[in-house]
Amino acid sequence: MDPAIVQPLMELGPPLVLLVAAYFTGRYIEVQHYRDIRRREIRWRNLAAVTFRQVPKAWSVEEATLVTGSVVISVDHFKRFLAGLRMIFGGRVRSYESLLDRARREALLRLKEAAAERGCSAIMNVRLETSRMASSRRKGKATAGVEVLAFGTGLRLRRSAA
Amino acid sequence: MKFDARLPADGVNVTPTHPLEELGVLLAGLLGVVVVLVLAATLAVDQLVQRLPADVESRLFAHLGSASDPADDPRSLAVGKLLGRLARHWPERPYAFRVEVLDEPEPNALALPGGLVLVTSGLLESCESENELAFVLGHELGHYAGRDHLRGLGRGVALLLVLGALGAVDAGSAGGLATLAGDIAGRSHDRAQEVRADAFGIGLVQAEYGHLAGSTGFFEKLPTPASAVERSVAHYLSTHPLGDERIATLRRLAHERGWTFDGDLTPFSTASR
Repeated sequence: MDPAIVQPLMELGPPLVLLVAAYFTGRYIEVQHYRDIRRREIRWRNLAAVTFRQVPKAWSVEEATLVTGSVVISVDHFKRFLAGLRMIFGGRVRSYESLLDRARREALLRLKEAAAERGCSAIMNVRLETSRMASSRRKGKATAGVEVLAFGTGLRLRRSAA
Repeated sequence: MKFDARLPADGVNVTPTHPLEELGVLLAGLLGVVVVLVLAATLAVDQLVQRLPADVESRLFAHLGSASDPADDPRSLAVGKLLGRLARHWPERPYAFRVEVLDEPEPNALALPGGLVLVTSGLLESCESENELAFVLGHELGHYAGRDHLRGLGRGVALLLVLGALGAVDAGSAGGLATLAGDIAGRSHDRAQEVRADAFGIGLVQAEYGHLAGSTGFFEKLPTPASAVERSVAHYLSTHPLGDERIATLRRLAHERGWTFDGDLTPFSTASR
């Protein structure tokens, strides 16, 4: 083959293959994750996770305990590529929206699961926090991932009082 | 208080755009921006270089060409002498021309900025007479007369500037940049420029030899597409008019001016220096 064709093919080929592969794997994982999130949200829908700071008067609390749910997510190559293009034009970085949405919902679900393990039937004062995890590359300026932490006060309620 | 166990809303925080749609829109936008930038930069550089005085141009591009002394190459000397003879018929020429021979099998000649004419060894081997080579050189001189070589350069530089700004091209190697720009310049003359350069070249050949014998030899060797479809495809792809059309145009021009294609061919040899 003509070297004038082979040369750009050799340079563009591997990144392109990586991008296509990242699209398909990222897409597959996202669809599967959303399916799992939906299933668990239905399962835990009756465990209340609310943002009240005061215990409602009607609730009779037997025990209160700190519960947390946390998830670390990383962006895939395709989403990063889209975000990179976005950075040229500005506007909503749509490719990250679903990623962070999944992270928040996953963190809340883990919070509920942690609360359920301790026999809590409600969580109050629920808060969400996001923090960036620095990568060792580029003197810590690169991002290894983002942690979404959900925490709150798990309440064991007396059934009779409710 | 009543707890209403509703499921979280799906998709409030997620724009329901398919990622591939997003990719398409962004890539199309990027392409549009690049095209607009290249066009704008091309126009700007074109306007600038056409006003560039020839002596400034010669100084700017004095470094173009190989490091070795072209005087060492008998072929360069021979072609240079022929070019000098032709250039004498263009008294107001603003350049001091230099010639270098590239070892490439493909017969070709390039007019680079600053008056450097590149001739491939393939061209020298394929030329059957001095007259034939003289016309090719005259054609390149025609590009200098129209300053077409700079127009192409403008395009090349503009493209490189924009791509470099976008980070697509490593802007570190300035020498490579200039060479590449020159390379693009050599390729990107349009057809109208080629026709004008042909007319200029044939005038020089007529002035030098008193006839045009052998001057269309280079075009006669170009492959001529046979079918109509092939012709239209070749038309679309090529920046140069097709060989047989150029011959026809030249014959018409020669007829108008009363020039003849009959005459004795002068042999050309690089070894006989």
